[in-house]
Amino acid sequence: MHLPDGIVPVEMALAGYACSAGLVAVALHRIKARPDPQAEIPRVAMLTTVFFAASLAAVPVPPTTVHLMLAGLMGVMLGWFAVPAIMVGLFLQAVLFGHGGLTTLGLNGLILCLPALLALRLWQQIGGRWPDLAAFGAGAGAVVVAIAIFAAIVLTGLPAELDARAERAAVQIFALAHLPLALAEGVIVLVLLRVLRRIEPRLLPDG
Amino acid sequence: MAETSPRARLILALVLAFGFAAVQGLAVLPLVMALAVSVVLVFGAGRVVLRRMRAPMLLVLGLTLVLPLISGSTVLAQIGPVALRLEGLQAAALIAGRLLSIVAVTVALLATLSPFDLVAGLRALRVPALMTDLALLTLRYLDEVTTELRRASIARSLRGGKRGWRALPDHALLLATSLIRAQARSERLWAAMRLRGYGTGLALPNSPLHARDWAAITGAALLALGVVWLDRTL
Repeated sequence: MHLPDGIVPVEMALAGYACSAGLVAVALHRIKARPDPQAEIPRVAMLTTVFFAASLAAVPVPPTTVHLMLAGLMGVMLGWFAVPAIMVGLFLQAVLFGHGGLTTLGLNGLILCLPALLALRLWQQIGGRWPDLAAFGAGAGAVVVAIAIFAAIVLTGLPAELDARAERAAVQIFALAHLPLALAEGVIVLVLLRVLRRIEPRLLPDG
Repeated sequence: MAETSPRARLILALVLAFGFAAVQGLAVLPLVMALAVSVVLVFGAGRVVLRRMRAPMLLVLGLTLVLPLISGSTVLAQIGPVALRLEGLQAAALIAGRLLSIVAVTVALLATLSPFDLVAGLRALRVPALMTDLALLTLRYLDEVTTELRRASIARSLRGGKRGWRALPDHALLLATSLIRAQARSERLWAAMRLRGYGTGLALPNSPLHARDWAAITGAALLALGVVWLDRTL
């Protein structure tokens, strides 16, 4: 779910860059406060590569196939590292594959980074007591929040001369069409975190 | 122009992309598209751009089919309940023109760089070392991990893997296996990086700006400003 170039006004795209830059600055500050952040770079890079590769592959969600977002999973597994990792992934997708956009990089960063951080918060809050619920909530919730931010940006950014009612209807259809993706990501994150808790708990933040 | 430094290419792409994105009227759109085609030809990236345009073209097709039918009040033609509307058609043309031009310029300038040069350009633009290192390592292992995931997915299908919704847990297991492998690989990678004296970021070639880079950046900035000025005055 990426905003392509040319959809939103340039002022909005610039504001997206400013907000994302602020978010990246906060994330880097939090990362630098960790005991040995450099030692975590290879691990974060390797996990980011897996997330990136997995998001490029189509997963069957009847009646169609979808590309996973994995923002919630990145938030849970990478913590604040998810912010720079998502920004890097979005930049590479825009430049190498023409997905998303160069001018909308900042807005797309917000669409994915904010849900990732919310998923991290959810996992930190209830992951200890109800891990399955937290995992499903992190996976599905991140998609729902991302859809909400995406819809808000599109509705604010589309040309004023367009029919507002038609715009809203189109965005509602788009959001409804993505609900199976939310469910699918919830199931995938639930199963995946359950497996990792059992086999490789070191991969989880509290492991 | 193929010798333009990676840092200059990144600046050119940003300047032109934001200049094109600022266009609000249809009058300058042919000029914007002509400029985009010129950049593609000057950088000799025609084939690469055509290959990478599939996803944006699909999006443009969707917009062109939907917007003129659902948006606007001036009806141009009507067949039963379906009406073709002027405002929707104009909005679709504007968005499509801007999108295709920006993607063409981005791909022509940046997708033709080697991953190493691309990341070196980012580092030269003062992007934090942590992010450039992430980008470099991601690019380095992306092919390998993608191939592994694809192979595992084919193997799952050949073993008679489940289909539809019931296949989701299997996909989660594939992903979990890849993540565990990635964790093991990252431990070896970190050991190798420490042995090579990893300190403040991975070693990247310097990407200085030469006179031709400055000329290209100035030219691109003037073109972008010219496009915006024409758009606001016409």
